Amino acid sequence: MKNSSISRRNFLGKAATVGVAGMVVPTIITGCSRDTKKVVEVPTMLDQAPDGPVLKAGVIGCGGRGTGAAINFLSAGPNLQIVALGDTFQDRIDSCRETIKKQKGQEVPLENCFVGFDAYQKVIDSGVDIIITATPPFFRPEIVAAAVQAKKHVFAEKPVCVDPVGARSIMATAKKAEGMGLSIVTGTQRRHQRDYVAAWQQVKQGVIGDITSANVYWNGGKLWHRDPNPEWSEMEYMIRNWVNWTWLSGDHIVEQHVHNLDVANWFTGLHPVKAVGFGSRLRRVTGDQYDNFSVDFTFENGIHVHSMCRQINGCVNNVSERIQGTKGSTDCHSTILDLAGNEVWKYQYPLDKDGKPGNSVKVDPYVQEHIDLVTAIRTGKPINELENTGISTMAAIMGRISAYTGKEVTYEEMMNSDLKLGPKVFEMGPVDVSKEVPIAGLAYVPTK
Amino acid sequence: MKKLFLWFFPGLIVGAILILGSGKALRMTSTNDYCVSCHIHPMADVSWKRSVHYDTQSGYRVACIECHLPPEGHGYLWAKGKTGLRDLWSKWTKDSASFNWEDRKRLEVARGYVYESSCIKCHENLFPAKLSKEGEDAHLYYTQTKKTKELHCINCHLNAGHYIEGYTHGSNSTFGKTSSAVKEIFTEPVKVSEFKNFTEQIPNSPVSFNMVAIPGGKFKMGSPAGEPFRKEDEGPVREVEISPFFMAEIEVSWDEYLAFYTQTAAEGRSTDTEGVRKNVAKETDAISGATPPYGQPDQGWGMGKRPAISFSYHAAETYCKWLTSVTGKTYRLPTEAEWEYACRAGSETPYFFPGDPKKFEKTGIKAKISKNDTAVINTYVIFKGNSPTKTQLPDRVKPNPFGLKNMAGNVAEFCSDWYKEDAYAQYPQGIVRDPKGPEEGTEHVVRGGSFLSTAGVLRSAARDYSRTESWLKTDPQMPKSMWWYSDCFNVGFRVVCEFDEKTGNL
Repeated sequence: MKNSSISRRNFLGKAATVGVAGMVVPTIITGCSRDTKKVVEVPTMLDQAPDGPVLKAGVIGCGGRGTGAAINFLSAGPNLQIVALGDTFQDRIDSCRETIKKQKGQEVPLENCFVGFDAYQKVIDSGVDIIITATPPFFRPEIVAAAVQAKKHVFAEKPVCVDPVGARSIMATAKKAEGMGLSIVTGTQRRHQRDYVAAWQQVKQGVIGDITSANVYWNGGKLWHRDPNPEWSEMEYMIRNWVNWTWLSGDHIVEQHVHNLDVANWFTGLHPVKAVGFGSRLRRVTGDQYDNFSVDFTFENGIHVHSMCRQINGCVNNVSERIQGTKGSTDCHSTILDLAGNEVWKYQYPLDKDGKPGNSVKVDPYVQEHIDLVTAIRTGKPINELENTGISTMAAIMGRISAYTGKEVTYEEMMNSDLKLGPKVFEMGPVDVSKEVPIAGLAYVPTK
Repeated sequence: MKKLFLWFFPGLIVGAILILGSGKALRMTSTNDYCVSCHIHPMADVSWKRSVHYDTQSGYRVACIECHLPPEGHGYLWAKGKTGLRDLWSKWTKDSASFNWEDRKRLEVARGYVYESSCIKCHENLFPAKLSKEGEDAHLYYTQTKKTKELHCINCHLNAGHYIEGYTHGSNSTFGKTSSAVKEIFTEPVKVSEFKNFTEQIPNSPVSFNMVAIPGGKFKMGSPAGEPFRKEDEGPVREVEISPFFMAEIEVSWDEYLAFYTQTAAEGRSTDTEGVRKNVAKETDAISGATPPYGQPDQGWGMGKRPAISFSYHAAETYCKWLTSVTGKTYRLPTEAEWEYACRAGSETPYFFPGDPKKFEKTGIKAKISKNDTAVINTYVIFKGNSPTKTQLPDRVKPNPFGLKNMAGNVAEFCSDWYKEDAYAQYPQGIVRDPKGPEEGTEHVVRGGSFLSTAGVLRSAARDYSRTESWLKTDPQMPKSMWWYSDCFNVGFRVVCEFDEKTGNL
């Protein structure tokens, strides 16, 4: 050896020093971070999805929203087709097929229209690339899981489940989809509304400081209801009147208010760990749901988010979110105020038809979400909102259960709960579920 | 000189790593053949070749170092150096035949030799398309709860790298269904009309078991301050008076437990929580029994007269209620006082047999220079010293003066009392008669050591308690089973029968 002059001890000593030095260097490097202004990137939102080979979609759940989503999808860009329809009822398929034909000139082949509780699997197996599903939320976990299993991209309306078992199924399906590179968009369209995205960017860049609290509202009028029809079985009646039955819709805090709760989760980047709420049923006509809820959510970092929702006519209405930070507050889309109430940021809306300052974004968010979905698929950059929406839906479920039971409900409890709503048998006949309106302090309390 | 040594030793290791770092040497010492050349313990090679890691679906064979060393960038070199030095040291100074390889297969030990970071490196996707419903729930639990630090992949996948006969971590709906040769089926329970030993017969089964008449009397409950290995909760010593009762000669065996399980078992799990809970709350006529277990409750050690394990406290209590209903006698779990009274059987020494805990379990310097003196204890108890990996049949040991076997060991035993550290201090002044423990609590008393226990824990006064949450750690079901613990296999129970009007106390 050439270096034989180096004594053994010297050599080892040096080796040891090198080792120690090697351990110290990374510490110095990490100690060097500079305090620069944070820049948060947001995804580019196109006005239209890029062109590409034909993408075929099948619609499962062809009611008002399913039909609407189908039209939104066809409006998202070139070379998009609706090629299959599935629903529990023939009349829903007929009206959906008719609307698509009238508005978009596409004719869905009759042999690709499936009726019944198993229609969803037939649509999935009909050679489509994308599944658009807007059934009553109860069916969502099963349908989305089957679609992902068959490697389909998915547009799934919110909410994505109605109970903890469904929520966990959704979370696992989300992770499976991620592993397969599938894209899933979930009808929480505020995440695709340009003013919301711009405000979110400002908040993430620290314009309102650290978030200290939030209020979210969906106080609106009565939605709709259907009276029983002697020609319908109980199952048919319940499904046709689904926004009034908890097992089908999750109650309106889940079905509708999840939008606003999702904004709180999105802006904070956190989710509730605890919910204490109350609610009641004052003027709802049918079903077993409440028509008002008020819930205090405690988030992971201890901040409180208050949520209110109501479906009663003739009251003051408010559908919005408000987030308070250490330096200011925001309505989450148009404006940011400092602590003194001065406007420090405003979203620049495009001018309206008459050339006057407008108040709506350039692209309808209901179309934008489909543009973003198709863009993700065609550019090979998957987006997957399913897990986030699963968590937001779980938050709404926590609020509902707390109001129904009068008890505190924790996220951990929900993650371990086997509460599954709905009957065991699906056929057009009597439905074996409780139809009692829950009364706080008496109702079943889900435990660990 | 000391300072010099401090520099020298890390230097030696780093130097050694640098020399090894010449690449080729590193590769040469990382092949399976190289590993197997030293790891001559029985079955390491064979069990690996029978495992799913050898016969993978993709055809890739997972090598020794891919589990037993961390991935590069996660302390690979350091772990390789450390493991290598340790293995060399063992190879040169120890006799591999003297190792207890069975013991080293246990999960607790295996966790020290399998790197979770290595599992995750290959198994990047914890939610593959084929994942089952239970797998989804389990992996969600793993990824989302904050308790994951105590959960290692091998908590559920212990057999991934080395095949284990009979290992299952899945729903085990056929458990207990295999019946052996046709035997005489008892139609009636035995009639008892006086206070002496009897053999109970479980109706509609071939199973019988011995009950020992334990005479009433007074005893000193707890341990005196000077007793070796004593813990604070064993005092203050109280004078306790116990009424006569019958106690089972042995811990409830698999034969006995399976008679209950097969006669009452519920068909699969019910997802109808509300209904299930209502039944439990009502506690009416019919006893709704255990649902099928998740995994292998007997751990593959065999059943028969071996003590039943892995079932929950709730299951033990339900078993007693069931036994009461089928025999017409009053069976229940012993109180903690009854248990200690029966265990001591008149003795006031640390054990019911002669001997000094400090000789059975030497500590400090004594442990280094001489072996534990276990000749006596070996004949009375199944414990870590003579069966460190599993339960044993009851006839391996001699009974205590009352005629009860394995009070001190084999499996620990549930008592009916809630556990409180200061339970003894809370009893009223004077002689305490038939105490039943604190009014309320969260965990139940567990008494007697087990095959996992060292001698100090086997003392008659030593107390322990159930740990519901950690005993259900790897149960992926929602909610976790109320009948089976997924992570506890050294606790069983022993029944007592009251000496009342049904057993001749007129």
